[in-house]
Amino acid sequence: MRRYGDLVALDRVDFTVRRGEIFAYLGPNGAGKTTTINILAGLLHRDAGQVSVCGFDIDREGVAVKQRIGVVPEESNLYPELTCRRNLEYLGQLYGLGRSERRRRVDELLETFDLTEKASVRFRALSRGMKRRLTVAASLVHSPEVVFFDEPTSGLDVPSARTLRELIRTINRHGTTVFLTTHNLAEAEDLSDQVLILIKGKVVTEGATDEIGRQAAGAEILSVVFSANVPVDTLLAACPAVMSANITDEKWRFEVADVHQTTMQIVAWAEKSGLKILKISTETPSLEEAFMAILEKNSAGSEVRR
Amino acid sequence: MIQIARALFISRKDVESYYSKPPLVTWGLLFPAVLMLAIYVKNPSTYLTVAPGIIGMTLLFGNTSMAAIVITWEKRSGTLQRLLLAPVSHQTIVLGKVVSAAAYGVATSTVLTLGLVVLLKMPMVHLPVFIVGLLAGAATFALLGMIIAVRVREVFEAMTLLNFFRFPILFISGVFMPLDALPAWARPIAMVSPLTHTVELLRFGVTGQSWFPTPWIPILVLATMLTVSWLLAGTAFRRHANR
Ligand SMILES: Nc1ncnc2c1ncn2[C@@H]1O[C@H](COP(=O)(O)OP(=O)(O)O)[C@@H](O)[C@H]1O
Ligand SMILES: [Mg+2]
Repeated sequence: MRRYGDLVALDRVDFTVRRGEIFAYLGPNGAGKTTTINILAGLLHRDAGQVSVCGFDIDREGVAVKQRIGVVPEESNLYPELTCRRNLEYLGQLYGLGRSERRRRVDELLETFDLTEKASVRFRALSRGMKRRLTVAASLVHSPEVVFFDEPTSGLDVPSARTLRELIRTINRHGTTVFLTTHNLAEAEDLSDQVLILIKGKVVTEGATDEIGRQAAGAEILSVVFSANVPVDTLLAACPAVMSANITDEKWRFEVADVHQTTMQIVAWAEKSGLKILKISTETPSLEEAFMAILEKNSAGSEVRR
Repeated sequence: MIQIARALFISRKDVESYYSKPPLVTWGLLFPAVLMLAIYVKNPSTYLTVAPGIIGMTLLFGNTSMAAIVITWEKRSGTLQRLLLAPVSHQTIVLGKVVSAAAYGVATSTVLTLGLVVLLKMPMVHLPVFIVGLLAGAATFALLGMIIAVRVREVFEAMTLLNFFRFPILFISGVFMPLDALPAWARPIAMVSPLTHTVELLRFGVTGQSWFPTPWIPILVLATMLTVSWLLAGTAFRRHANR
């Protein structure tokens, strides 16, 4: 458990990551993902609970844990004034690699991450995607057993994100356990074997990714703005395909299973009631909505949502 | 042993990163050199009474400032996190940072001393004592600078906090005013100021004379202060480095 003042940032979070898998730690912003990584990496103390990483106790054997893990933080934290090569070289020194081993490893990483040409460019002069790649390379200098990625693709353009996901897969294929946080459901589905969903510091669900993905799929959100106030009861009565409805400002958000069918019903009803549709669009439900839905489905067969 | 090697890697990287900026080195030297020159021009016969004090002052300002820079700079840019993630203990990081910060003051003071010896024919009666004073003072000041700097994020905040201590002790540590001339209430403060002991060791090295009857007194006092500030720096680091 971890508190920040009165805020309980992590509340009875309990999980085990198996060697060799990609474990996705999925949750919206502020869920407590970074806090978790910081605790696992020995950067932050917790208020209660036990943490063991690679079989070592994080409090008593912190140095042994750090020797075996790599961390790719949300914000790149390499030395802006040093060149790519010197950054990696320095980390090699800190992790105790011998001179020749260091040189070999640095060359190899620069090659793998397509940065050989940038070897003598200062870190601060790299593009965003390159910075992220070097940060990943930096976490691998000492060939760690586990690598923690904190939202690795956030802020990257689509091709860079794709390249990075491919690299994460490669790293995992070479036997490294990957723990990655993300707020992107698709990314978790794409990459991970196992997924845990964290919302507001609590574990909502955990399991094999395919399983969880199936549960989360389904509902779509249809958002509509009408020209006048709409009585919710008549609307629900007229459009049986709407699973649930709520309104913020002028905008209705309908949870629907079938976009086409529901749209047809709404259009027909609006026509009949003399309403104009000013705006209509579909939205993928936010992670929180999707998982609140899972939670409701899981917790009670008795609940009637309509 | 492994940890000490890693500490030295940390220092070397710091030296590469921060000292490559020439203005830093020049400014660290310029002020004391000009001050020294002014005193010499005014009255060449008395410059020797203040020279050890000025060298001590160069050490104090250089090292505390450098400690503030090597800590707050990395804290702000987030790179201190890299060190905290690495398999090095907190004491190792403190050691690495202290060596790099202390190296700066030692370098500027040495250049200043060489200048005085060459240009003004300053004597050097007892070089080993001078060196002990230089190194022990350098390490103590660097540690004290770190203890303060690790609490804040901005270099200027650290400098402001440091100035609360640096300027007052300048006047009670025998730099400009001989210890005998201090008012009675200031004496005890002078005795707990590491600058007093550093300056007296430097003075003994230069002139063979000191306010203390033997250099062993300031050596022992400085050794104690060094140990205490080492322990305090470790604690301060554990508490504040990750904020
Ligand atoms: N240093 C801090 N002080 C106070 N609150 C914090 C601090 N760091 C994080 N929090 C709060 O803890 C919660 C979890 O944060 P974080 O772990 O960064 O979430 P995530 O990485 O999932 O977006 C958030 O509500 C955040 O505001
Ligand atoms: Mg985060």
